[in-house]
Amino acid sequence: MSQQLISANHAAAEAALLAARANRRGRGFCSGVYPITPQTECIERLCSVPIEKGDVVRVESEHSAMGVCIGGSLSGARTFTASSSNGLAYMAENVFAAGFFRLPIVMMAVNRTLGPPWNIWVDHGDTLMLRDSGWIQLYCEDNQEVFDTTLLAYRLAEDARVYLPVMVCQDAFVLSHTMMMTDIPAQEQVDRFLPVLDLSFRVSDKPRVVGGLDFPHQTEMHREQHIEAMKQVPAVYAEIQDEFEQAFGRRPPDAVVPYRMDDAEIAIVSMGTTASTVRTAVDGARARGIKAGGLRVRLFRPLPEDSIATALRACPRVAVIDRNLSPGLGGILWGEIRGLARPNAIVQNYLVGLGGGDIRPEHVASIIQDVTERKRAGEPVFMEAGE
Amino acid sequence: MTLEIRLHGRGGQGGVTCAKILAAIYARLGKSVQTFGDYAGERSGAPVRAYTRVADQPITNRNKVYRPDHLLVLDPTLLSAEVVSGLAPGGLLLINTPDPPAAFAEHFAAFRVATIDATAIARRHGIGTRSVVIVNTTIAGAYCKIVGLPYDALEFAYRDLHLHGNLPAAKEAYDAVLAAEFPAALPARAAGTAHADAPASLTHGTPVMPLTEHTHSLPTQLKTGSWRTQLPRYVEHLAPCNASCPAGNDVVTFVQTLMNEGEAAAADVLGRTQPLASVCGRVCPAPCMVGCSRSNYDGAVNIRALERWIGDRAVPVQRKERPPAKQRRIAVVGSGPAGLSAAYELARGGHAVTIYDGEKELGGVLRTGIPTYRLPRDVLDREIAGILKLGVQTRMGEFLPRDRILALAGEYDAVILAAGFGRPTKLEVPGVALAGVEDGTRFLHRVNLEGGEAVRGHVVVLGGGNTAMDCARSALRSGASRVTVAYRRTRTEMPAIIEEIEESEHEGVVFQFQRAPVAIRGNGRVAALVTADVEMGPPDASGRRRPVVTDRTSVMTCDHVLLALGQSADMGLLPEGATIEDGRVHVGGEPTNLFASGDFATGEGTVAHAIGDGRRAAARSLSSLGEDVAVFARPKKTQAVPLSSIRMEYFEPRLAATERHEPVATRITTFAETNHGIPDPREAERCFSCGHCTFCDTCLVYCPEGIVDRVISKTGNGYEIDLDYCKGCGICVSECPRGAMEMFPQ
Repeated sequence: MSQQLISANHAAAEAALLAARANRRGRGFCSGVYPITPQTECIERLCSVPIEKGDVVRVESEHSAMGVCIGGSLSGARTFTASSSNGLAYMAENVFAAGFFRLPIVMMAVNRTLGPPWNIWVDHGDTLMLRDSGWIQLYCEDNQEVFDTTLLAYRLAEDARVYLPVMVCQDAFVLSHTMMMTDIPAQEQVDRFLPVLDLSFRVSDKPRVVGGLDFPHQTEMHREQHIEAMKQVPAVYAEIQDEFEQAFGRRPPDAVVPYRMDDAEIAIVSMGTTASTVRTAVDGARARGIKAGGLRVRLFRPLPEDSIATALRACPRVAVIDRNLSPGLGGILWGEIRGLARPNAIVQNYLVGLGGGDIRPEHVASIIQDVTERKRAGEPVFMEAGE
Repeated sequence: MTLEIRLHGRGGQGGVTCAKILAAIYARLGKSVQTFGDYAGERSGAPVRAYTRVADQPITNRNKVYRPDHLLVLDPTLLSAEVVSGLAPGGLLLINTPDPPAAFAEHFAAFRVATIDATAIARRHGIGTRSVVIVNTTIAGAYCKIVGLPYDALEFAYRDLHLHGNLPAAKEAYDAVLAAEFPAALPARAAGTAHADAPASLTHGTPVMPLTEHTHSLPTQLKTGSWRTQLPRYVEHLAPCNASCPAGNDVVTFVQTLMNEGEAAAADVLGRTQPLASVCGRVCPAPCMVGCSRSNYDGAVNIRALERWIGDRAVPVQRKERPPAKQRRIAVVGSGPAGLSAAYELARGGHAVTIYDGEKELGGVLRTGIPTYRLPRDVLDREIAGILKLGVQTRMGEFLPRDRILALAGEYDAVILAAGFGRPTKLEVPGVALAGVEDGTRFLHRVNLEGGEAVRGHVVVLGGGNTAMDCARSALRSGASRVTVAYRRTRTEMPAIIEEIEESEHEGVVFQFQRAPVAIRGNGRVAALVTADVEMGPPDASGRRRPVVTDRTSVMTCDHVLLALGQSADMGLLPEGATIEDGRVHVGGEPTNLFASGDFATGEGTVAHAIGDGRRAAARSLSSLGEDVAVFARPKKTQAVPLSSIRMEYFEPRLAATERHEPVATRITTFAETNHGIPDPREAERCFSCGHCTFCDTCLVYCPEGIVDRVISKTGNGYEIDLDYCKGCGICVSECPRGAMEMFPQ
């Protein structure tokens, strides 16, 4: 165990390296990587150190990077890759393939605005574009969480009850390039936490083209099985939290993280680093006597509907902060939360920090003000664009 | 009325287009139509369905056809209860099959069965691709006839769909289709009346295995092999070079072996058919290179140079593994390439061989005729020594007359006559007896064996074959101040090797074409040659244009005239009244133990032909003695892999390696070898390996199912196709760069 001042990009890379080496007595590690700002540091780190029984393949595109991971995973190796923004868009076909093959691949995705025009700063639209790819999606709030989540993602992906790929999402620059003290465990600790991968369905006898034809009823059944696997995730995740705590002495956050929600009448729902700002604003509101609370959705797929509904059951006013936009509707998180609030609740959408703008406590304070004064929910509100 | 038609076929047969054709015909008749196929299974060989709906009113039904009135089955192997499900009693079942309708009486008695062998008709009309016969347009013709649709509607639809090229096949099917109604058949129901209900669930009811439980092929364990009507196989096909080699050399194998295993292994391949690789690698006209597929791309592989490379560097393992049951004693008369080849083949098999030759040294024309600048004698001596090492005996220095040959026939089990050409073609013009007029072969014999200054001044050579070239170039090296070759036809008709003609030109030999000698003038000695202009007439039996001598003459002063007008065998060596039948000498219609070989028998005139025929004579003689040996027969060139089977685009363009030649200035002063060969054997890499698998993995890479596996074994590497999954799509066959695979009917 050692404390290191590293960026969240490096935190993800360290977790991947530890997971890779933990499989040295198994079928090893195989990763396909392609650089893109703001993920590049992560894979540079991955490429810069030797990995026992491991290979990092530097390919010519994100599509191929995921292709290498699919091939490696099918042959039973542990895999990792990282990408961002338009790289994810280019990778998308194989992201779906990995999802539908149910391969236990872990990918760190740095959330960055999709272009053009080009913008390298944070926005959740890139990974939310892959919402329906069949992957588990977790959104992180701080550096340590990026490390911990990347590591535990392997436990989750490789659990035979689950067998699904996991996307570990973190905000561009706000996390990716921000350095904080991060607790990095020793290899032996990781070895105890993360056993050797023995993928029961690896293609073991002869190389084969995979992905033959599914007829309609087969596809329907495969999708149903996919949903069943997703349904296992919350319970399996809870088990992993326990074991992680035993192994490393700290508990990874829950799938949904409430803050002062017990008696809250106004809930502010968000994802990623925004939740930190929301906590500050909630404390400010509470000091003014406003019963505000924060709710962070950490696990976005599968969406923990029960946990969210339970947290929101007493809230007549819900403000959903989206750092993304589905043009023609509004924020994507808002679209999902609307059905989970209590009947007749005002669920208002606020679009903040699109394209990487800072989300400041002042924004959240004015959101609390706005949602408090509303008679009913209206159009999504662009906080910076004015009236 | 509402009419529903369902077609069952396999991907690639054109079922969807067939359904469209039927719709077009009905549309022509004023009906509302709808037609569509089942998609996704559009991979070759997969069972596919297509549908056509016909009605008087606009059609709103968007479902597939579950209760067809007419059912067309394009592949009889698809026939099953599932395929005919929903077809009402009395409904039409039209099957593409060579069998008559009665063949289906047992299982499909409830239907009106019609049959047509659409595959045979379509194949006859050449409809389809290299791997799949497309039957859609043919069976549609049969359909029209059987349901009573007018032929002109069919004709119109075909023109409308730009399928008129397929009309003859459709017409043939229209005329040939057979129909039967079995006694058990119920009366045809009125169209549009109720059928049995469509199945409530359209799924197969079989459980679907989770993707995380497959360990073999993700995701489905769909055995796509059941879709197959044709099967790919790896088949070694005759390479054009092999088909072209008169010596019967396994050319493609020795070239590939040179590249993959080196000179020694390649020499072993050559040693199976011939003992004179270094000789052939220098003097063969190389018909293999004319046949070479690469000559249609970026130039033939320089096979001759590769053969020389091998012959000059390695000695083949010559003896056959097993000694013969009985050792035979065989005499070979003549030690040219045919005699040497026969002796080699016999001695290699463990038989006792004695060669008789009138010269002091072995080699025949290789020594007496071919100049040393083309074939250095140490090269010839080395290869002959290799043959003698097998235990071949020699009796040299006596040309055997007829009676001695007959005596040999009594002494030996068999005698092979390989005496070559003995008689030069005579020139019958005034002055031919003048001093300075000499037969070309005699001149070469003198130059090659006797040495010394042979000619001076202006030498004229008459003829256009290799002897003429050898005379011309030898004359240049023997004191001639200039040399002219006069030939009665044009350059393209010259029988000489093209390189020989070119090298002669480089060395300063002047060619006069379309000149025929009419007189030689001189006072005791040649002073001038009179030639007449020749015009080219229509082709003669040899395919060459016949020369027509005119009376326009010209005079050329000269000091020597060398006659190289061709040669023929001296049949006086054979018994009285003898004939040669299939290489064996017959007297009075009865076979003797005399065999004729090489130029003596065939007059084909190249070393390669002689080598092939020597081997043939050896086998014939053994065969006549009751030995079980195969007689080498030259394959037909038409049996070789056609150019259309070679996928040129897989090969990087790369020019042929050229041989290194001594500069003209230095070479014409000496009889030293002019051609120094190629600098390295990389030329072998240019070989396409036509018809012979090189394990290039193209089949493996292109197989859409990924079910081609490499097999590495002691007996040889290869590929294995997983037949559980092979759909018979034929992509491996059509992608094979070298025509080493083939589709076979299932």
